[in-house]
Amino acid sequence: MISRVGRKPVWAIVFLVGVTLIFLSVDSSASPVSPVLADGNAPAAKTLIKHFIFLMQENHSFDNYFGTYPGANGIPANVCMPVDPFKTDSKDCVKPFHAGDNDVLPDDPDHSTQTFLSQFNKGKMDGFVYALNQRNQDGRLAMSYYDDRDLPYYWNLAEQYVLFDNFFSSAGDSSGINHFYWVAATHDEPPAGQTLQEYLANTPTIFDRLSEAGISWKFYVQNYDPALTYRTQDQYPGNRQSQVIWVPLLLMDRFIDDPALNSHIVDLDQYYDDLSKGTLPSVAFMVPSGPSEHPPSSLLSGQRFVRVLLQSLMQSDYWADSAFMLSYDDWGGWYDHVPPPQVDAHGLGPRVPAILISPYAKRGVIDNTQLDFTSALKFIQENWGVKSLSTRDAAANNFLEAFNFTAPPRPAELVPFDRATGVKPAEPKRFVIYIAYGGALLVSVLVIIVAIILTKRGMRSTLKDGEGLQS
Amino acid sequence: MIVQDMGVPEFQTVAKSPAFRQRPVSAVKRRTGVLVNVAMVGIVLAIAVAVRVVYINQLGYNTDEAVYAGQGAAIAQVPILKDLFPVFRAHPLLFQFLVALSYKFGTNDLLPRLLSVFFGVATVYLVYDIGRRLYGHGAGVIAGLFLALMPYHVVVTRQVLLDGPMVFCTTLTLLLLVRFAETERPIWLVSAGVGMGLSFLAKETSILMVGAIFAFLAISPKIRVRILDIVLSLIMMAIIMAPFPLSVSLAGGGSDSKTGQYLVWQLFRRPNHTLDFYPTVVPPAIGIAVIIAAVIGLLLLRKENGWKEKLLVLWVITPVIFFELWPTKGFQYLLPAAPAVAILAGRFLATWRIPFLKSRALKILQEVVVTIILIFVAVSLFNDSWRLVTPTQSDQFLAGSGGLPGGRETGMWIRDHVPLGSTFMAIGPSMANIVKFYGYRQAYGLSVSPNPLRRNPSYEAITNPDFKIRSGDLQYLIWDSFSASRTSFFSNQMLAYVKRYSGRAIYTSTVTVTAPNGDRVEKPVIIVYEVHP
Repeated sequence: MISRVGRKPVWAIVFLVGVTLIFLSVDSSASPVSPVLADGNAPAAKTLIKHFIFLMQENHSFDNYFGTYPGANGIPANVCMPVDPFKTDSKDCVKPFHAGDNDVLPDDPDHSTQTFLSQFNKGKMDGFVYALNQRNQDGRLAMSYYDDRDLPYYWNLAEQYVLFDNFFSSAGDSSGINHFYWVAATHDEPPAGQTLQEYLANTPTIFDRLSEAGISWKFYVQNYDPALTYRTQDQYPGNRQSQVIWVPLLLMDRFIDDPALNSHIVDLDQYYDDLSKGTLPSVAFMVPSGPSEHPPSSLLSGQRFVRVLLQSLMQSDYWADSAFMLSYDDWGGWYDHVPPPQVDAHGLGPRVPAILISPYAKRGVIDNTQLDFTSALKFIQENWGVKSLSTRDAAANNFLEAFNFTAPPRPAELVPFDRATGVKPAEPKRFVIYIAYGGALLVSVLVIIVAIILTKRGMRSTLKDGEGLQS
Repeated sequence: MIVQDMGVPEFQTVAKSPAFRQRPVSAVKRRTGVLVNVAMVGIVLAIAVAVRVVYINQLGYNTDEAVYAGQGAAIAQVPILKDLFPVFRAHPLLFQFLVALSYKFGTNDLLPRLLSVFFGVATVYLVYDIGRRLYGHGAGVIAGLFLALMPYHVVVTRQVLLDGPMVFCTTLTLLLLVRFAETERPIWLVSAGVGMGLSFLAKETSILMVGAIFAFLAISPKIRVRILDIVLSLIMMAIIMAPFPLSVSLAGGGSDSKTGQYLVWQLFRRPNHTLDFYPTVVPPAIGIAVIIAAVIGLLLLRKENGWKEKLLVLWVITPVIFFELWPTKGFQYLLPAAPAVAILAGRFLATWRIPFLKSRALKILQEVVVTIILIFVAVSLFNDSWRLVTPTQSDQFLAGSGGLPGGRETGMWIRDHVPLGSTFMAIGPSMANIVKFYGYRQAYGLSVSPNPLRRNPSYEAITNPDFKIRSGDLQYLIWDSFSASRTSFFSNQMLAYVKRYSGRAIYTSTVTVTAPNGDRVEKPVIIVYEVHP
């Protein structure tokens, strides 16, 4: 007993010294893993990213947007999609083509579970035309793609920041389930014997985790109607109901009824206020309303929408410690050549475009880490030290490799909307100016010098004449 | 007789005078005289330098300075600026070319202004030299002093404007013409052609002084000039002028079409000032007393008026008549006349004396009175110049009259705080130019007309500001009191956009002004707004 009592101070000293050394070893200004203090008692961010924003757009596959992007894992050469993969003797096939060609009218390709399974065709990825034909659509539509003529801003963004070419949707399905994976790392189907609300009541989301930890968050919704929830959606016209699909929190009683939780769901206008007033939360999810790029809507309006969001961030003081992720909730029925890994009964789904924009993002890098929507949850969990939600996000990869925290943050630079044509505008030849004007100055000086010399000679001869006369 | 009428060179007069033959000046006295003369000229030049450099960089560039310095930066290929300013606009590039060379020593807004000061001080020396040759050392010193202190010349030659170098070149031409008239040596007429060519390269409007030269030769029959010499002189002038059209046509980059458009627009644009603009603005800037002295001298010494006075008067009235009739008026456009006015004033004060005074005391008294008048004129010029060069805060601004309060500070703030690639919309192109030069950001003027017939071709119009803001092409609006005072319509339009797009003031530049009750209050002169669709 005595000896044990006598050893207590030694352990205490060792403990204190150890804690002090650890504390002193932390350089809060430079180390990428140093804690960054958050407001109040919230855990500090473990990287230099103090604000993470994720915008979810709609319905495009990676190959549909970046299939011809140089250096990316895009549309394979010589691919030709069979019209009917089950007719082995048929050679009818459709080659990828630029959207608008081949007299194929724009449309919203079907992107149901059945269509995915047909297109996936047990990993052969050869049923894209067939599946749409089965849905009485022009199957060729699936093989159309966009490029920098249609997506100048996104291609410019990709050139400046990080483009992920191995980023999958979380489920081989449409918007609802993928949005649910986005916030809860699981599907939205209740097990047998449970109602949906019973299931959802016990399904944590990332926002529950953040609230528990005291970490600020907001869900920004463009044209948000607080009265539109799962309880009232039937009273709204079809497209307007998508607010409930795109904001899965509006399916959950606690986020509807608890004023404290509900107050985090706000109109997108609040984003601009938060940026200007210094109230941007640590984590922000956002969804569009009109400019979602959901086929067949305008890609230009979607890009302008994203551009304004990004520009506002860059114009604010938050730019220096923020990361902005842009992605798409599902593949939208479009062709993508990479078979998604099947990690469980729901997914993964086909690849979707994803771009990370941050002052710490590597410049012009194509990152091929396997990721999906739950990777964003993984990043949040690791950055702010909150628990995972399911086996999906626990097993997901983080995208920390896309950052370079050892370099100073890149200053904000607005990315141009128009695509550089590659042909530089004709520059005036400066040497012509230097030669012409320099030459004119030189000639002028020489002429005047000659005039002075000639006159002086004349003066001397005049003086000599004068002296001669005097003498 | 002919020699006397023409104003024989000083050495000839002295060499042939009886005094020279009978009573040679001792070497010591002559050396002392030379030293005194040199000292007087040195003092005049020192004064010229002093009033031109004091507080020279207290205020940032105004719009014209920003444009010319920006062109220099474009020639020197200064990063970012070279993409915001075109190499070619309307004018030839002699001064901008020299500004580009100065950027080899660093890109800042002081060096180009010092370059302008150099031309200003050099012009003062030329005026001294012309005055000395025409009317003696005293007249030269007085004329140089007047120009050194003249508010008109002081203000313009502190700024990065083409007019300072242009007036240096036209004054050089005047000197070369005087040398021709003195000597009748054709080489000086050819040199005058060279000087005229340089004047054109500095600013093309100086070409009108060719008219003054021809008028002078036409009405001075005693000055013998051969047609061949005139042709040679014109050829030399054309050779020296050639870099302007040559560089425009050979340098490429779309330069030729832009310059052509600009000339057409200048010819047919609407008047920007009323006919009373010059009579109101320019005489006080030259100095009323200087003008009176010049005119009285012409009247009182009318019996002695000859080719010298014809030349000087033509040098004054040619630009005055032309620009009074020309629809486009600018504060500094009449500056080429200023040196001739100063010389005529110097002539009067140095040479006119009451002829019938016999008593020595009265003669001394007369010299004292003349000296007092001279000091009075010089002090009044100095006072006016000092008032103009001393940094004063004002929310009003006359183009060409000096730097713009708050402009540089706003631009520097923009450069430090606004993302690269941002685009601004100002009320007019004036503030837009300042944003571009100091802020390193693209800027457009709301008031620039979408109608190509109604706008300066150098500027690009925003045809639909709403669309630009809504689509994210325009992120910032900038309101300034200087432009607002010129166009309340576009000022109100700008403020309507600010309101419509939830403009948030992110930077305000203020000046201290006197309120009606006499209190000194801070008044916003420039406000930068951030807008969102």
